[in-house]
Amino acid sequence: MPPMQGKEARLADGGFPHSHDEPAVGVDYGLVLRASRGDKRAFERLYRDHVGRVYGLCVRLTRDPAMAEDIAQETFLRAWRSLDKFEQRSRLSTWLHRIAVNVVLERRRRRSSTLEFVAEPALLTDEQFLIETPIEEAELEAAIAGLPDGARDVLTLCGIYGYAHQEAAAMLGVAEGTCKAQLHRARGLLRERLGLGGKP
Amino acid sequence: MNSPTGRRLSSLAELPQDMEPPRDMWAAIEARIDAEPAARGRGALARGIPRQAWGLAAGVALLAIGIWVGRASLPNSGVAIPGAETQAAAQSAQVAAGAEAAALRAVYAPNARFTRERELLRRNLADRLAALPPETRLTVRASLDTIQRARTDIEAALGRDPGNALLHEMLVNAYQDEMRVLATVQEAGAREEI
Repeated sequence: MPPMQGKEARLADGGFPHSHDEPAVGVDYGLVLRASRGDKRAFERLYRDHVGRVYGLCVRLTRDPAMAEDIAQETFLRAWRSLDKFEQRSRLSTWLHRIAVNVVLERRRRRSSTLEFVAEPALLTDEQFLIETPIEEAELEAAIAGLPDGARDVLTLCGIYGYAHQEAAAMLGVAEGTCKAQLHRARGLLRERLGLGGKP
Repeated sequence: MNSPTGRRLSSLAELPQDMEPPRDMWAAIEARIDAEPAARGRGALARGIPRQAWGLAAGVALLAIGIWVGRASLPNSGVAIPGAETQAAAQSAQVAAGAEAAALRAVYAPNARFTRERELLRRNLADRLAALPPETRLTVRASLDTIQRARTDIEAALGRDPGNALLHEMLVNAYQDEMRVLATVQEAGAREEI
């Protein structure tokens, strides 16, 4: 396997090569190849392997299970149409997430939601998203769901799915600084809503 | 979306990444795939150029002019502003012909050198800009903003049509445009410092 590339190197399919610890080329490789040649059973396997992660992201970004389901379907349909263009150097799951985020953003634009402006951030130090006092999972999910769109998007991509700022910014179509600012804001709001106080 | 587990978490990363959808969506997806069998396997160019691509092409063409203006206004750039239209056209043609292969290599493959150089140029940008006259700084910033906007639009369009070869090419060109502006600022800023 070639050495790991930095997260900054973008691929033509919009992904980042080997952007997480999991190797890019694995079980998915053969399935993607077969699916790209029109094998629906192979694509179904890919769907079953990845639907949880795609749907999880969609639910968190939309806060609406029905819409999340619709967006997840659209994501897989677009992936099917474009599988032959998918570059094997990036992870399929990242590529699917990228498509899903784009579908979410399109839907929001259709609802003509306004863009949120956020000032440049203070320096962030807590990259682990640690919470001093453990919180119940449901309470944490509810607090995240209550965040404004922009802040929730970034917190979900970076905090839960582990994307780097650069990756999350590229997915969301915002500047990296905006991504950091949104994360800073999200953490402040989250702490406030969880009653944690202290510095964000 | 609430979890029934009652688990207590001390990090966002402990939240589950996967969520099971309320029902199996495969049948619906398969039905939609079957409804459009012709789409499978066709090349992006064979599908024709979508309407939004024409809009983006126009945007990128304007962007190229903006970048040229930015270059021409840099001190000691070696570019004479009078007659710039002709030179710009000639240069655009040269760039299109000569840099295309390199651009494709740079963005279509994980080219570590491209990435390294881009990051270095971006890190030095503020210092280099500080060495330039205010009006030049504004022009450069406007060019970079335009490139960023074009890239965002192209990426959004790619999200809607990830297999579109024209959009991929335009994205490559946008990265190359950015590199050209950054490299020119680097050179011009260095000369100003001397």
